[in-house]
Amino acid sequence: MLTCSDICLDYVEATRVTHALKGVTLEFPPNKLHGIMGPSGSGKSSLLYILCGLKAPTSGNVLIDGKSITKMTDAERASLRSKQFGFVFQQPFLLNYLTALENILVGVSPSVLSTATIKAESLLENLGLGGMGDKYPSMLSGGERQRVAVARALIGNPDIVFADEPTAALDKENGYKVMKALADWAVDHTVIVVTHDADMLKGADEIHHLMNGCLVDNAQPNVR
Amino acid sequence: MRHPLSPLTYLTRNPSKVLPMGFVIVLCVFLIAAVASIANSIDLTVRTIYRYTEFFTYVIPQRSTQSVPMDQRAVVEMQPEIDRIIEGGVFFVNIKTVVGRLPFVVIGSSPEERDYLLKRIGATLAEGRMPADGKPEVVVSLPILENRGLKLGDVIAGPLDEGGIAGSPVPVKVVGVLKSDIWVAMSSRTFTDKTFLLTPKCLLLTTKVPSDLDVLNERLMPVGRKGDGLLSPEKVNVLTRSSLLAEVRDSLSSMYMIMEVVSATVIFVIALMSGMLSNIYFTQRIPEFGVLAALGVSRTRLMMKIVWETVILTVIAWAMGSVLSVFLLKYLATNVFKQRGLFLDAMDPWAYQHTLPIPIAITVFAMVTVWVRLKRLDAVSVIERR
Repeated sequence: MLTCSDICLDYVEATRVTHALKGVTLEFPPNKLHGIMGPSGSGKSSLLYILCGLKAPTSGNVLIDGKSITKMTDAERASLRSKQFGFVFQQPFLLNYLTALENILVGVSPSVLSTATIKAESLLENLGLGGMGDKYPSMLSGGERQRVAVARALIGNPDIVFADEPTAALDKENGYKVMKALADWAVDHTVIVVTHDADMLKGADEIHHLMNGCLVDNAQPNVR
Repeated sequence: MRHPLSPLTYLTRNPSKVLPMGFVIVLCVFLIAAVASIANSIDLTVRTIYRYTEFFTYVIPQRSTQSVPMDQRAVVEMQPEIDRIIEGGVFFVNIKTVVGRLPFVVIGSSPEERDYLLKRIGATLAEGRMPADGKPEVVVSLPILENRGLKLGDVIAGPLDEGGIAGSPVPVKVVGVLKSDIWVAMSSRTFTDKTFLLTPKCLLLTTKVPSDLDVLNERLMPVGRKGDGLLSPEKVNVLTRSSLLAEVRDSLSSMYMIMEVVSATVIFVIALMSGMLSNIYFTQRIPEFGVLAALGVSRTRLMMKIVWETVILTVIAWAMGSVLSVFLLKYLATNVFKQRGLFLDAMDPWAYQHTLPIPIAITVFAMVTVWVRLKRLDAVSVIERR
């Protein structure tokens, strides 16, 4: 289980200090879709990046199954991200010289490439992208690219998927498709989605609201 | 299926990014190979033109005497390696070289001695005939004719020849052409004796075993320590391959130094420029590295990916640059330099060794650049780029 306790994040610019997160404490029980909501600048993306070990907090601790992420070395955090976490960003960030299928496989270890390839093809099928594995990102629509990014996040069978505004650059229809894929994954894994769009979190199990770096309304349950 | 992060995947899928870099390396390799080959060509030119010194040595009397003094001749005769000692007159014809006209020796010998010397250097008559006794005629090897742009029957030396010791009071014709890469010119002894009265008579030495010549030369008059040898430098001089090269290197030392400085500067600047180019090239890929780092690809793996991409690219480009250099330098050597008396070795290993700093500099620059950037890489700042 992922937990964070008393997370603070300060940005120092010259003499001015901005408190982006002010003592956030949260638990993310497994097999749930967790939403983190809040307006722009509320600190929700910062919190997500701290939770996944991409950003270090000014103070506080993040634990995964009892182990502190904040105390890990860079290499240990990279290994954790590679083996246990999956990521979906606001932009798909696909490598334009790789096909959709290859983009899904970038983080896969060379030793399991052949089995991962079969799984990637199946993921593409499940995400409505069957037969598009050999297409380059420039040949795909925005929604298709983001679904490829979802497949890339899921290929390593991660325990936790982090999604930062995954539907922000998409129309409603494509946004729902992406959210459905994430919700399906949350049935037996943990998914944490940051968004400012309440519509996209209709199926979430828990929603955490952030305002000015503070948790204001914790774990509002939803009915899936 | 090849792994998506395989270096070959990037290199083969991004020709617009890879080819300009590769092309720059190819051109740099050619530039440096050309500069280094040309710098080294003066030595090669001397070694080619005076290669006959690999087969025999001249003992030349000093200016005060017309022939080698008896005591000096006796010393030479005592040497166990000696096969033959041929005494004869010589005269000189002009040849074209990169440093201007140089005199080239024509040996005056008897028919028997001439046949012996030609056999020793492996030269055979390809066209015409041997010089007639007492006549102003010479037989020369083909490279000399090509150098002078002459043909059989043309005059090779005469009263109007310009420069130094070259020339003849009567016109001397080419009556025979020798098939040999070794530059050699021969006339009859009777002609040189009666025509070049003031030219000193030299001794021409050969050894039983050709490879013993260097040992003998060094014993008679060591290069750089003339007084330490068996022969007296006050009475005679010994013209050997080593002494010739030493003299040329000494007289051209300033030019060599300039060429070395130019060559080293070119190598340094090009290595630096190509290294900086690789820096720009990798800076453009920082977003790609940021995303991969965020996805959990370790910095070590990213580093190895870049190192291999760079090594593969630079090795291929270096090899292509070297092949291109061989072809272009071969063309230049045959069609431009040879006619001007400059010999250029298109496959000179020394020249290609000088091109090695290019791939090494690029790889080192790439590794340092990427290492520094990866160390400072903030994946979040790449991902949050909207």
